Amino acid sequence: MNLDWSVVWQHRDALLAGTATTIVLTVATMAIAVPCGIVVAIMRLYAWKPLAVLATAYVEFFRNLPLILVVYWAFYVLPILTGVGLSPLATGLSALALNVTAYNAETFRAGINSIRRGQLDAAMALGMGRAQALRRVVLPQAMRRILPVLASTWVSLFKDTSLVSVIAVTELAYVAMQIRAQTFRVLEMLTAMAVIYWLLGYPQAKLVDWIQRRFAVTE
Amino acid sequence: MNSPATGRAKSARPMIIRYQGVIKRYGAFQALSGVDLDVHSGEVVCLIGPSGSGKSTLLRCTNGLEPTDGGAIEFEGAPLPRDERALRAVRRRMGMVFQSFELFPHLSALENVAEGPRTVLGMDRPGAESRAAAMLAKVGLADKAPNHPSELSGGQQQRVAIARALAMEPDVMLFDEPTSALDPETIGEVLNVMKTLADEGMTMVVVTHEMTFARRVGDWVAVFDVGRIVEQGPPRQIFEAPETERTRDFLSHLGWNG
Repeated sequence: MNLDWSVVWQHRDALLAGTATTIVLTVATMAIAVPCGIVVAIMRLYAWKPLAVLATAYVEFFRNLPLILVVYWAFYVLPILTGVGLSPLATGLSALALNVTAYNAETFRAGINSIRRGQLDAAMALGMGRAQALRRVVLPQAMRRILPVLASTWVSLFKDTSLVSVIAVTELAYVAMQIRAQTFRVLEMLTAMAVIYWLLGYPQAKLVDWIQRRFAVTE
Repeated sequence: MNSPATGRAKSARPMIIRYQGVIKRYGAFQALSGVDLDVHSGEVVCLIGPSGSGKSTLLRCTNGLEPTDGGAIEFEGAPLPRDERALRAVRRRMGMVFQSFELFPHLSALENVAEGPRTVLGMDRPGAESRAAAMLAKVGLADKAPNHPSELSGGQQQRVAIARALAMEPDVMLFDEPTSALDPETIGEVLNVMKTLADEGMTMVVVTHEMTFARRVGDWVAVFDVGRIVEQGPPRQIFEAPETERTRDFLSHLGWNG
């Protein structure tokens, strides 16, 4: 087989830009999905019943759809629903955030539920309101406990951002596929893509392991 | 079954808490079936009786952690409010200590004690922390201020929990089996702190299985059985001349013989 690895070096700028977009997508998605996940979890647990049902419906809807379907759905349906034409990047980000928020909401809900009732009692017995007790006592403990799960979600998300390539977001996977189509250097480009994802993903996975050890719960 | 107030040393003092026919249900289970009890200022009232007899439930109704289903609880002459906001104001003035400590594990001992003054009383950090340091010193744990609860023994954790409640400068302290989760060798240090508080004139309602404490420190003892008070009176009466068969029976099962 005749391999020509120089094609990777020739397109380094495009690949770097794609890698940067992948990282931006991951960071931006989490920056949206963590606070929104907390809000949805608290709605499910404590809000007025109709709101809680709405939050549950949201979670169950997006958690049980393939992400790629949500990406297509955002691409075709969001402009009709909102009347605004979003850029591919914004559309991709919306789809990822909708999906990851649903996952994070479940993670936060489990985390909050894992804090025993007595902690809330102790905070309320001091005279705190329920919201204060959640913010000062329950959430900080829940956050520590679920940090390893959030970190795993992060690593999955980093790889799943490649799915938004189907709507022409110029992240790493899309860029690599484009170069492949132009140069017909299939094996080289797929290998280059794999190497870049792995080199970035592996340290993150190691970081997750470290976080899991570091934040092991001691009571 | 209310005994007359004879022998009730502090009965002339103002009443702080009055329970009248308090009823509490959990579904079909009736946890409290009409409890009458008075707590006067500066008194130590001990609630004793078998597990599941309603002692802890009454304590949790006292500061509204559990709503009642009937009867009335008065705090300083006013009925306990139903409204959450008003209840919060009442809870500030009642310190509560739990069987399982319930210290906040993500905070140091000092931060645990400063949390109430900071969050609930709105004190600034230096003010809250100097009050917290004073409270830790009071329970003999000044040197443990920077430690997290997981680094403390059970007895030390419970003393921090007492300091946390005292930091709110409450009018009443509620103790829910404060020594039941402790190793025998650390029970004494917690009871000593409680005894000191009692000697300083703190009003205390104590759910306990420590009969020696009830007898020596208590001013008034109420014996619970299946959601009722079967007998109440000064410790001398309860432990030396119990008037009801149920009290004698309960004490004999503890191996108590006067």
